[in-house]
Amino acid sequence: MRRGITATALVAALALAATACGSDSESEGTSKGSGELSGTVTWWDTSTAGSEDKVFKKIAEDFTKQHPKVKVKYVNVPFGDAQNKFKNAAQSGSDAPDVIRSEVAWTPEFADLGYLAPLDGTAALKDSDDFLKQAAASTKYKDKTYAVPQVIDSMGIFYNKKIFKEAGVEVPKTVDELKTVSKKIKDKTGKTGMYLRGDDAYWFLSFLYGEGGDMVDASSKTVTIDNAAGVKAMKVVKDLVDSGAAQTDATDGWENMQASFKDGKVAMMINGPWAVSDTYSGKEFKDKANLGVAPVPAGSAAQGAPQGGHNLAVYAGSKNLDASYAFVEYMTSADTQAKVTKELSLLPTRTSAYAKQDVVDNEIVGFFKPVVETAVERPWIPETGSLFAPLVTEYTKVLTGQAAPDKAVKTTGDSYRKLLKGWK
Amino acid sequence: MTTAPAPATTRKVRLRGERSPLSSAALHLTLIVASVIAVFPVLWVLLTSLKPAAYATTTDFFKETTFENYTNLIQNTKFLTWFGNSLLIAGLTTLLGVIVSASTGYAVSRFRFPGKRGLMWTLLVTQMFPVAVLIVPIYNIMAGMGLLNQPAGLVITYLTISVPFCAWMMKGFFDTIPREIDESGQVDGLTPFGTFWRLILPLAKPGLAVTAFYSFITAWGEVAYASAFMVGEDNLTLAGGLQLFVNQYGAQWGPMTAASVLIAIPAALVFLFAQRHLVTGMSAGAVKG
Amino acid sequence: MAVHTSQSVAKAAGDDVARGRSRGTGNPPPPGRIRRALSTHWYAWAMVAPVVVVIGVIIGYPLVRGIYLSMTDANERNVARSIGVNHLPATYKFVGLDNYTEALTGDQFLGTLGWTLVWTVSCVAITFCLGMALANILNRRIAGRSVYRMALILPWAIPGFVSVFAWRFLYNEKRGLLNEILSGAGIDGIPWLNDPTWAKFSVIAVNVWLGVPFMMVALLGGLQSIPNEHYEAAEMDGATAWQRFRHITLPGLRPVSTTVILLSTIWTFNMFPVIFLLTRGGPGEATQILVTQAYKFSFEISPRDFAQSSTWGVLILVLLLIFAAVYRRVLRTQGDDW
Repeated sequence: MRRGITATALVAALALAATACGSDSESEGTSKGSGELSGTVTWWDTSTAGSEDKVFKKIAEDFTKQHPKVKVKYVNVPFGDAQNKFKNAAQSGSDAPDVIRSEVAWTPEFADLGYLAPLDGTAALKDSDDFLKQAAASTKYKDKTYAVPQVIDSMGIFYNKKIFKEAGVEVPKTVDELKTVSKKIKDKTGKTGMYLRGDDAYWFLSFLYGEGGDMVDASSKTVTIDNAAGVKAMKVVKDLVDSGAAQTDATDGWENMQASFKDGKVAMMINGPWAVSDTYSGKEFKDKANLGVAPVPAGSAAQGAPQGGHNLAVYAGSKNLDASYAFVEYMTSADTQAKVTKELSLLPTRTSAYAKQDVVDNEIVGFFKPVVETAVERPWIPETGSLFAPLVTEYTKVLTGQAAPDKAVKTTGDSYRKLLKGWK
Repeated sequence: MTTAPAPATTRKVRLRGERSPLSSAALHLTLIVASVIAVFPVLWVLLTSLKPAAYATTTDFFKETTFENYTNLIQNTKFLTWFGNSLLIAGLTTLLGVIVSASTGYAVSRFRFPGKRGLMWTLLVTQMFPVAVLIVPIYNIMAGMGLLNQPAGLVITYLTISVPFCAWMMKGFFDTIPREIDESGQVDGLTPFGTFWRLILPLAKPGLAVTAFYSFITAWGEVAYASAFMVGEDNLTLAGGLQLFVNQYGAQWGPMTAASVLIAIPAALVFLFAQRHLVTGMSAGAVKG
Repeated sequence: MAVHTSQSVAKAAGDDVARGRSRGTGNPPPPGRIRRALSTHWYAWAMVAPVVVVIGVIIGYPLVRGIYLSMTDANERNVARSIGVNHLPATYKFVGLDNYTEALTGDQFLGTLGWTLVWTVSCVAITFCLGMALANILNRRIAGRSVYRMALILPWAIPGFVSVFAWRFLYNEKRGLLNEILSGAGIDGIPWLNDPTWAKFSVIAVNVWLGVPFMMVALLGGLQSIPNEHYEAAEMDGATAWQRFRHITLPGLRPVSTTVILLSTIWTFNMFPVIFLLTRGGPGEATQILVTQAYKFSFEISPRDFAQSSTWGVLILVLLLIFAAVYRRVLRTQGDDW
């Protein structure tokens, strides 16, 4: 409230002249070149508010135990807003955080825009050989390292064991099996087989990979979304919805998916480790053993789920670079990662963390580790994050019957070529 | 005045205020249906907020009525901080909005001065340009002035939304106040400011009430700027704070619905205070627009 | 109070017509008289100064810059920015009217414009008719009038994001109350927000719900300013209810109507929150109006396309200006001084 009162006085005094010099004095702390670290490190975390954020806040603030003169300011920014908010703040040069939790696809884009500090040779990157190769890939841009991997993830099929038993079915291994399993579940229990998110193209990727397709092929600089595999994949998802094997929504997909799965109204959903804590809170999963996780079903050509995760990056304009580097190192150390895994079942990015008992004991990690190892990597180019916006529009159009599969992927391909100048 | 046509007239003419029980019933029925449609969505949120969070998405009207969502909201979230921030921002916007719109409206209504037509058009054009496109440039201006994450930044931005309409409306309202009052003020030796302040403003209460209502509602319910400019749990306004409850990864209907109800209360209070003047104020303003 | 004001409304209406005619202030003052102009007008200027400053800085500068950017190929990656030690100069270039040609010849702008017009016209028309009907009913002597009035104005008093959220709750296909009620009546659930056509219907319904109170209140005020004597005279002449409505109420409401229709057209055309919070323009792009699409260009896609967003913004402004000018001219030819 003190902030509020000063601001009132400010407005009253300045009225509309607006010559305020209200820069955030807190973040102007300095750290001496070689001596003890001091000042404030502001960290924008994007973890789920209400469950994950409490754990990360506690761990982040414990940094002060190692560096008593450094104050950590933890700020939780909703994942959906974070990319935009960081862009706003970073380009204006004021009120940006020192450290941001950057989704893997954002990292090359932020780096390309010049918002991130290169970390090679700084305290942030310690034992960089220890990181899983897949996790480290997204942190590199033009031969420099711009971020440190914090968590890694992929997707699997979550299923309700009770409903499966009631219907007498096994986990589907292919999309065809998914359809027959769904039909059986519908016949035996009256429940819908699967929830398919229709408002986020990330949930479409495993079907695209299953048909042997991809959004783009960076090595040959080719747009591949509109090839035959892309068309096939769109037909597959459309067929899942039309045949009643899956239900979908064009809005509120996440919420509807979680609610219908947690209440036992659908038997399956495709999701990642970040959904585990929330899923356990549902009434069907009071007994945690009822939740089963299996690899995503294969398509006609292949099997695969996208690899995702989050990195920690340091803002290039940070006034407190040294403390920020140290903070990033602390947050990504094997000890911290093991602690996070224990509380939240998120997957570590360091090989050595997987040897820790807390990680070894974690069932979810046990399941997702092999999935992550075979997960499909996206090309880590600045445009990777931009590929979803055109795709999701067309994906939703296909699911709601507004566009034919071949036309939809063609439109998507056209916008990709506009975005990626000179690509085939 | 009260000479109603005698029943003897061949053609039956129904007078205003006189109608058959049947048409009375029809009118009441229409009003009741309309009122239910108007009130129901809001009422539904209220009912949902009184259900335990686990049943939030069920369609029973009542289920294990409880206040746990409210206690939860107030104890475990920064709701009160957001509430305070919003109150401060909306309050300042209202205060400044009323002063600025009234003085502008008065100047435009009473004085002939170079730039007046241009100003009137500007006020209209300002409402035409899609502000959504301006978020990034305005963000940079605010950053340049150090007003990001400060209530002042949002207050100034909201003034640009509410003042153009309010000034227009106030101009219409002042047009309805006889100029003789101004003239009598001048005869008494008051300056134009003095006339405005001491004679005209007290007469303009309905207009001011509408302006206040409009400014308050604008600032209280705005989302786009609030979520772009403010960051960090302590600085958020209600609009931004609520986004934390329903973001891409997880919706907490319990606190969300409870918060919605609590947010609606001050707005409803301001409305109650203003509604007496709303009809007269609006019409006078809008008539002359 | 109310009586007093409504009388003054009528009185001032004539007053303004008189002044309206004399509004032409003649030629601008010759250069030598600037000082005198200043001394005559300083108080007027002082009173409007705050508005001019705020609008000039917060809207004017971005507006001018927007017009400039619409003639370049500026996006997030080529505008100037300075981050800590990195200073990146602007590298975008001037492209003339290319963006406008592209927008006006492409499908996207015209397609979106088509739906925006449908959206605006249907919202304004329905809102106006409902507002008119309710205002007329409320203007009668009827038991419980103030209670009804309070209930009907409620949607206006509730912050938009709260009520839009409530509607999303009701519209939910699988768990929403609306479909629950329908299934109770044996009707299949309606995909309110999941089907493109229903989504269009749904967003219009919500906007009408939000907009009726404003219309109703404004028209109610207008009705109250129509002198009772007109009706009494008509009654003496044996006019029917419809004739009274047609010949007294409608002309009497004309000044209010023209203003609220103009304003609500402008507002509806640019109604960002309803569409953004309800459907985000979806499913697909079914409910995307010009302003939400422009927002998407400058904010949601990456790299942010400032040039295209500004182009759409300027086009929106131009369309509304044309509308306002035509509207005004039509009113003038019909003898209204506006």
